[in-house]
Amino acid sequence: MVLLTAAPVLRVPDAVACAGLSVGYGRPALAGLDLAVTPGETLALLGSSGSGKTTLLNAIAGFAAPLAGRIWLAGELVSGPGRLVPPERRRIGMVFQDHALWPHLSVLDTVAYPLRRSGASRAAARRGAQVILEQMSLGPLAGRRPGQLSGGEQQRVGLARALAATPGLYLFDEPTAHLDANLRAQILDEVARRRAADGAAAIYATHNATEALAIADRVAVLHSGRLAQAGPPAEVYSAPDDLTVARLTGPVSVLGAPVRPAGPGQYAIGIGGARATVPGTAAKPADPAGPAILVRPDWARLGEGDLPGSVTEVRFRGPHTDYHLTTPAGPLLIREPGPPRAGPGPACWSLERLRLLPPA
Amino acid sequence: MRAAAAAAATVTAGLIGALVVVPLESLGRIAAEDGLTGIARALSAPASRVAILHTVAIATAVTVLAVTAGTALALAVERRPARSRLLPRLLVAGPLVIPEFVLGFAWSQAYGPAGLSDRVTGLTMPGLFGPAGIIAVLTVYGLPLAYLAVTAGLAARADPALERAARAAGAGGWATLRTVTLPLLRVPLLGAAALVFVTAAGSFAVPQVLGTPAGFGTMSTLIYSDLALSAGPAAFTELVVLALAMVALVLLALGPLDLWLARLPRAARPETPPAVAAPRTAGDRIVMVIVWGYAILAAGIPMLTLILTALTRGPGLAPVPANWTLANFRSGFSDGAGAALARSAGLALAAAVAAPALGGLVAGLARGRWRGPLATVVTLAYAVPGSALAVGIIIGYGRWLDGSALIILVAYVAKFWVFGHRPVQAALDRLPPGQTRAARLSGARPGTAVRTVVLPPLTVAAATAAGLVFVLAFHELTMSTILYGPGTETFAVVIMNQQDLGGVGATAALALVLTVPVVTVAAVAAWLARRTAVFPGIQNGSWSS
Repeated sequence: MVLLTAAPVLRVPDAVACAGLSVGYGRPALAGLDLAVTPGETLALLGSSGSGKTTLLNAIAGFAAPLAGRIWLAGELVSGPGRLVPPERRRIGMVFQDHALWPHLSVLDTVAYPLRRSGASRAAARRGAQVILEQMSLGPLAGRRPGQLSGGEQQRVGLARALAATPGLYLFDEPTAHLDANLRAQILDEVARRRAADGAAAIYATHNATEALAIADRVAVLHSGRLAQAGPPAEVYSAPDDLTVARLTGPVSVLGAPVRPAGPGQYAIGIGGARATVPGTAAKPADPAGPAILVRPDWARLGEGDLPGSVTEVRFRGPHTDYHLTTPAGPLLIREPGPPRAGPGPACWSLERLRLLPPA
Repeated sequence: MRAAAAAAATVTAGLIGALVVVPLESLGRIAAEDGLTGIARALSAPASRVAILHTVAIATAVTVLAVTAGTALALAVERRPARSRLLPRLLVAGPLVIPEFVLGFAWSQAYGPAGLSDRVTGLTMPGLFGPAGIIAVLTVYGLPLAYLAVTAGLAARADPALERAARAAGAGGWATLRTVTLPLLRVPLLGAAALVFVTAAGSFAVPQVLGTPAGFGTMSTLIYSDLALSAGPAAFTELVVLALAMVALVLLALGPLDLWLARLPRAARPETPPAVAAPRTAGDRIVMVIVWGYAILAAGIPMLTLILTALTRGPGLAPVPANWTLANFRSGFSDGAGAALARSAGLALAAAVAAPALGGLVAGLARGRWRGPLATVVTLAYAVPGSALAVGIIIGYGRWLDGSALIILVAYVAKFWVFGHRPVQAALDRLPPGQTRAARLSGARPGTAVRTVVLPPLTVAAATAAGLVFVLAFHELTMSTILYGPGTETFAVVIMNQQDLGGVGATAALALVLTVPVVTVAAVAAWLARRTAVFPGIQNGSWSS
């Protein structure tokens, strides 16, 4: 309940803060969510479809009234009991999943729209829009309709529209979900540049772990309408609190083998008669017997050490190669840079790191 | 294949020629007999001028009222959670399954002098017999057309994200409506306006019931009375010119619109995620009170009045159980009404089989550059007012088919062909293009591929079309009153003649018999649709033009 009184007095207010936020009737889409984003911060909202990402963005934008809880924007209460500031007065820039470009408006008028609504004359709004379009190298598209744009162009126009409102907070609803990898990188660069320039906060909803880890200062993992874990990308990746978070934040193998503490930050593990002492961390609560051993694909090495196993499948993936092994502790994925350097067959491997979780 | 397609196009064009072009050409031929001066004389006759003026005024008023109210209601209702939209949709669309004549008659019994509301509260509707009443009842039919068009338009064009984008960009509720929602709905709204205008301008039953007693005539009632009086060849030419003017009026309103609509860019159908369930707000309750109030006033009280009138022994008696009787049904059916009922059902059934079959012909076989023009002609055939089409058919085919019920069937098929065509065309357009090829590669011969892959998805569309055509043909009055002869009366004609003779109780009883089966079937269909959570007529947008 600390957050309820945290409508901050002495420090700069959070760009957005949610306390005890519940949305949706019956089976709630969000239940008791606490979350804050500081000015200038980018938060990645990571979750599978139906996890509540879009619902949270809609609640922050003012499209969904919370059932319980409060939302502040820049220290002002915008959603709470008896109070629901309408979306147009929240100073938010939103980039939508399906672009949400108006089919009846040209690119120029689309970007000019927020300026018009904030009171600029038609001519002034169009001049302002033209400046933004030039900055984003979209100038030549000004006269086109959305139907005449490619997917990537549509998304950049959607971004330009959000920028035109000069908001204090950006909301991105899976903006790259329908784009190919190349366009996706372009858009993400654009987002990073703009955000560095104006210092606004951003919430970026995505189901793509790579994207979330790459662009965010902090990652919040949503699962079934609850906040499963939040923290810096490296921390969420290396120290997930549970299996769900581990699987959502990247590839992971789960081994079952006897393991016991062997000094601070060290664990002794026994696999198929071989033994190894491996640095690792453990999730609270303290492990009961037979914990699940999480291994990220970059935490194990092939052809070193004396842990036994057998390579069943080798997949070359360009910058790296995936080796699928069967081991006495269960299936294991090892990812190493470069082209394949071993074929299927018996192989030894070593473990450089592990994460212990209570058994699922 | 090319030869087969050409043959199909020829057959289709021939049928369209026989059913649509010949009647219109016949009108033109008779009208041109006296040259331009004859046409000018016919149009400047005082009765014609007044009728044209009345028709234009009524159709315009109904269009403005129905489209405004239907749009407002649809916007208020259709953004609610999916579960709570069905009831308001049914309440608004319900009157569509009541024949125009029946609803007009029911309104006269409910809100007219000595009607139910007069009896209970002492209130009557001022101007019920006259333009106000005609506009009110026709609006009850126009409003659902606008409502359904907006509903389909919202589903197909207005992704909620587009409105959210406007709100997020700083637009308030009204600004969003003005700058995003209504511009997105421009095409379906114009389509709905055209449909409402055509329906109102061509309506015969409502002006006949509510206008004629007050001496207020429209083009359709004037054509009917001129035909009934049949006062010599000059009068007949006058009437034919009037019918042609009606066609011109409707096509003038429709033609440019059709051309312009074809040029507008189409928006892709959005994939909308299911909305988060929301609590019911005060606004929702107000909307439901309005919808219920409207449905009760527009159809509920009139239909209740109709039932009470049918059950009550005499026109002056109070509709209480002590005065209830089935005598009205007996007297209504005493004079050939049973045979007419059977004849109507048979004609409607034949039309219901023929229209989807011919519609499939236009949709499926006539491909390439023929397809667009053929579809347009079939659509415009519906727009031709029934009175004009019927007069054209008499002139064109009366020589061979006079006195036969077949002439009525020709009229039904020509008029309702479009309702067989649209659903089948829509279903065909939805078929993924690779399907027959996949069937062929899986070992099916061409015929087998069509039978196993193409036809099954079309059966639902064809059944929907057949049902719709059956109802429309079963209720049809405008053309039937002009085309029937001794021994070929349809049931709707018998009811109108009964009302003409002043048999209020018998009229009400027969009107109930005409209405109840269709309403029952529609209610069952709606209930089934609710259970299976589909509402084909609305969701596939077959109502929007």
